[in-house]
Amino acid sequence: MTLFKNPVAKKRWQRFRQSRRGYYSAWILLGLTLCSFGAEMLANNRALLVVHEGKVHFPIYGDVLTGKDFGLDYNYEVNYRELKKSLSNKDGWLIMPPIPFGPLETDLIAGDFPPHAPSVDTRHYLGTDTSGRDVAARLIYGFRTAIVFSLLLLVFNYGAGVAIGCMMGFWGGAFDLIFQRIIEIWSNIPFLYVIMIVASVITPGFWTLLFIMAFFGWTSMTWYMRTATYKEVARDYVMAARALGASGPRIVFRHILPNSVSTLVTFVPFSVASGITSLTALDYLGFGLPPPVSSWGELLKQGTENLEALWLVGSVVVAMTVILMLVAYIGEAIRDAYDPRKFSFYE
Amino acid sequence: MTGYFVRRFLLIIPTFIGITLLVFAITRVVPGGPIERLMTQIQLGGETGSLERSQGGGTLSDEQMEELKRYYGFDKPMLSSYAIWLKKVLQFDLGLSTRYQDPVWQIIKERFPISIYYGLTTLILTYAVCIPLGLAKGMYHGSALDSWSSAVVFLGYALPSYVIGIALISMFAGYWDIFPLGGFISDNYDELTLWGKASDIFSHSVLPLIAYLAGSFAVTTLMMKNSLMDNLSADYMRTATAKGLSRSESVRGHALRNSLIPVATSFGSNISLLLGGSFLIETIFNIDGIGLLGYEAIIERDYPIVMGILVISSLLYLLGNILSDICVALVDPRIRFGERSGS
Amino acid sequence: MRNLVSILLATFICVFSLDVKALPETLPTDLVWQTNVSDPIFADPNAKRGGRFRTFVTTFPLTLRLVGPDSNGSFAGYMRSNNLSLVGIHPDTLKPIPELATEWAFGSDGHTIYFHLDPDARWSDGTPVTADDFVYGLEFMRSKYILAPWYNNYFSEIITGLVKYDDHTIGIEGATPKPQNEMLFEYSVSPVPAHFHKLDENWVRDYNWRIEPNTGPYLISEIRKGKYIEFTRKKDWWANDKRYFKYRYNPDHIRVKLIRDLNIAYQYFRKGELDTFPLLMPRFWHKKATGDIYDKGYVGKIKFYNDVPQPISGLFLNEDATPLDDINVRYAIAHALNVDKVINTVLHGDYERLETAHDGFGDYTNSSIRARKFDLKKAAEYLDKAGWSERGDDGIRVKNGVPLRVRITYYNSGHNDRLVILAQEARKAGIDFQLQLLDASAAFKQIMENKHQAAWMGWAGGGLSPRYWEFYHSDNAHKPQTNNVTNTDNKALDAKIMAYRTATEKETRVKLAHELEQMVHDQGSFIPTFKVPYTREAFWRWIKLPPNHGTRTSDALFDPLGGSGGLFWIDAEEQERTLEAKDDGDSLPPINITDKTWVIAP
Repeated sequence: MTLFKNPVAKKRWQRFRQSRRGYYSAWILLGLTLCSFGAEMLANNRALLVVHEGKVHFPIYGDVLTGKDFGLDYNYEVNYRELKKSLSNKDGWLIMPPIPFGPLETDLIAGDFPPHAPSVDTRHYLGTDTSGRDVAARLIYGFRTAIVFSLLLLVFNYGAGVAIGCMMGFWGGAFDLIFQRIIEIWSNIPFLYVIMIVASVITPGFWTLLFIMAFFGWTSMTWYMRTATYKEVARDYVMAARALGASGPRIVFRHILPNSVSTLVTFVPFSVASGITSLTALDYLGFGLPPPVSSWGELLKQGTENLEALWLVGSVVVAMTVILMLVAYIGEAIRDAYDPRKFSFYE
Repeated sequence: MTGYFVRRFLLIIPTFIGITLLVFAITRVVPGGPIERLMTQIQLGGETGSLERSQGGGTLSDEQMEELKRYYGFDKPMLSSYAIWLKKVLQFDLGLSTRYQDPVWQIIKERFPISIYYGLTTLILTYAVCIPLGLAKGMYHGSALDSWSSAVVFLGYALPSYVIGIALISMFAGYWDIFPLGGFISDNYDELTLWGKASDIFSHSVLPLIAYLAGSFAVTTLMMKNSLMDNLSADYMRTATAKGLSRSESVRGHALRNSLIPVATSFGSNISLLLGGSFLIETIFNIDGIGLLGYEAIIERDYPIVMGILVISSLLYLLGNILSDICVALVDPRIRFGERSGS
Repeated sequence: MRNLVSILLATFICVFSLDVKALPETLPTDLVWQTNVSDPIFADPNAKRGGRFRTFVTTFPLTLRLVGPDSNGSFAGYMRSNNLSLVGIHPDTLKPIPELATEWAFGSDGHTIYFHLDPDARWSDGTPVTADDFVYGLEFMRSKYILAPWYNNYFSEIITGLVKYDDHTIGIEGATPKPQNEMLFEYSVSPVPAHFHKLDENWVRDYNWRIEPNTGPYLISEIRKGKYIEFTRKKDWWANDKRYFKYRYNPDHIRVKLIRDLNIAYQYFRKGELDTFPLLMPRFWHKKATGDIYDKGYVGKIKFYNDVPQPISGLFLNEDATPLDDINVRYAIAHALNVDKVINTVLHGDYERLETAHDGFGDYTNSSIRARKFDLKKAAEYLDKAGWSERGDDGIRVKNGVPLRVRITYYNSGHNDRLVILAQEARKAGIDFQLQLLDASAAFKQIMENKHQAAWMGWAGGGLSPRYWEFYHSDNAHKPQTNNVTNTDNKALDAKIMAYRTATEKETRVKLAHELEQMVHDQGSFIPTFKVPYTREAFWRWIKLPPNHGTRTSDALFDPLGGSGGLFWIDAEEQERTLEAKDDGDSLPPINITDKTWVIAP
């Protein structure tokens, strides 16, 4: 781990820790992300642990257990919430997750029609959506999809953008011109069309969608990187490095990249945020992930159509705002940390 | 440098052909063209019953399908119909909309004023708010003002504009009845006095503008703040202080200009936003803008309109990119475009 | 001269291209002329004329043409219903009533009809409506220039001839003999004003926004593109005092405003800027349409049961796609669809189960058929029989290592929640539904090319009797661009369909229709889902309805036009009172009507 032995990196880490807001945000976001990876244990209609007639089951990560396995009369998956009620102490016992509903499971409450309002009694802490699915469960699973999606998208976009943009700025000339044309052509293709074509051949899944978004998303980062590289190349120290006989790659990796990355880093929070928002927008329009996948966009759509069920729109909007603000604070802190010059205001 | 920009202008031509050819090809691949749309309309039912029955139905012979294809221009091979289309465009003829049967240019032209009005107002207000706000945030980094404005700006950014739109219209137009329920002007606009017209447009545009603006502040503000902070710690600022300039003088005189560079880079690409406009906001507020026109054209497979909007928006975008470079060159004389810097 | 040519042309087409016996050259003398002036009137004599009725559409019309591309949007209804037919249908008794024709008679060959036209009938520009306009109408509908191949087909293959006997008498010939009642509506030609049209290759474009003279009560008086269209009632409409048109079409103006978003449209209604609002959707009826304006009686709600053909909506299984070629799998899917749960959850118990493909056709409907109920035991039996007896680790049935997956193609994102519930429930039976949402055009193309497995869709219903040939005859199977999307290919069914098509006696046809319906049910390739046997609307207090509220066939109560429409009126005094009460916050007696006059006993 040379990265952390590097005194510069150490200093950056210290500076990052010093901006409290960003530092705490990072921990919170990391915690939320990790939690969402264990979403199955937070919100699920399967029990965490079942002890039945001396046998121990962990239904979440195992095969489907049918009603017959527990001596009930049906051959499809057992309903653990009812099983819990029916199990007497001597048969066994089970523990349900804190939110005892799966994200795809529709729960019917007698005497009322979905969407059901939030209630502690029914254990729908954020209510249900219009099909009777638990909003909290869908928020958690939807968050996992969104954050993974947007991080992967970030990696793809920045990888391509930094590489190509840097080359464009450093080499200039014909390479620059050709790629400029390609980018210009790229950015003008109506995105919806491509989604529609793909959707007509296959239902766009997570990876297809990610691929399409990355296919169109790399251009803006390339554009910024190109300008930044141009700026750096024109600086005296690059001249000096050249004069000293430094090779092209060395100049790029030792001088240009580290210096232009600080501009780049300011975009990271926006990229993460825009990854989340554009997935949400696509889902909202119905061009995103296919139902019944949990997604914030779908929940938002339901929310805006059912404004009187405020818990729908409220929970998505609050969740989105919180996540995006956390990301933004982290971005600010990273930027502070990366800035090679300590802020000194000359008064 | 001049040579570089002349070359850039000339390069618009191949890029333009590249863009239009690609999208033209895509329109040929998209499943469900105007012909399928026609059939869908005739045959699909809603949810409620009715005694009436359309006399459509049944199947079409191959000749009849050919006839329809000819009408919509799908009978020729892709490249030759592209050539025909391009030739018409060069004569400033964008063709006829397959839905409205009106000339595409006329349809787009009718919507220009509205889109430009919203685009320009949004652009001006964004810069008018973001540059000073970014400056203030940069100068007083870490202060309460900085924290709170970040929170507000990000709240706006986090809420999708259409959600803001629906919330605004439900509260201020539906519930409290302060503003009208959408549209760009009232039905009796022509009968109003000049002052009446101005206030009519104003009252119609307050809510959509808020929805447009809410999301646009964050990016520019933070960009401005960060680049100012980069420059605040630069050596020339020390020199300026040593010269005896006060902080605000040195910011105004030196740091400001340099920190506008990244903002300037983004200016060019904003030009094409002038004609953008979110179709979702336009749907909610019943505004007949270009964004909505383009979205409906895509959904309803009105290819001449799609291509027409593409022609205009891509030209604007290409010009905008050049403009960006000119802006960057103007504010930062050190940048030399197009000169081979590698050894 | 022109008309002469067109007659010759029409006769030529009949004689040579279709090889059926043409209409006689002179009017047969042995005709028995019929009319109907004895059925009850369904409008209210107390109706008051005047006022402006304000309503909305969500998309602005793309054309004002009645035929040709894009003439089928949501606005088309307004245009069509301002053109009267030869004969109308009495909305309660379903018997023919005079519209443009005063009398009609049936030829002895069983597929010709003769009409006496109403000499009072006028186009909106004052020109009388004569037989020539009908002759031109047929020529027009057969023209290539109108770019409406479906009409071209219909008016040459189904309607084979039209002859003018004098200025006010015409004869129309259809392709095959049918029951008289059905012939009146199937073999009908609408007049087209010959003095207005010039048919050439530019017709579609040139006539896109031109206001065609019509025969109905209203004419467009103002168009503001992208904003609204206003209709104004003709000052002295020729049919004002005709028996079945009296007291109807009361507002002086109808303003159809463009509001693109339904939720926003509701805000307009709540504010009183629209007079009525459809509340069919459960969430509107139950959750939105509540509050002060309803409690204080400014706005009323009405639920009105009607009795009309229902759209054929449900799940169409493609028999050409495995595993749906196995009838046991089809039955199992039907038993694994928990339609009742959908009705009782997302549909608020408001919709009803559609039991059979053709519902609401009166005698033709085979009401003894019951759709297959959600029944996991039966589903399991059928699946075991079909060899899908094993279950995989995820609970999905497997056969030879292949899981039991069915892809459902659909195009209405509003149905997401319904399908999600069905998919969840079907997992219990071990069937995995993969939902594929496409936009309407793409979905329709996929289905038309038979590339779907199962299609979740609704076909427009309508008409007086069900149609089977289009949907189930093997002539249309395994072929793209046909309505037989289930690719049903059953010889026994074919024979019966042909018998049904050629039968002329209503009794035989009804009997055959019942048998056909049973066979379709046995085929199991169509699973019926929902029907909505009523209309629900909200209206401001000043909109008045007759005591009977609507008619048996009213698909909307506040339709200002159309065969069963135009019954309401605007009460200006009541409007003043209501608005005053609203300003002062006073309460008026609330209006909450449920009309079950036409409810069909289950």
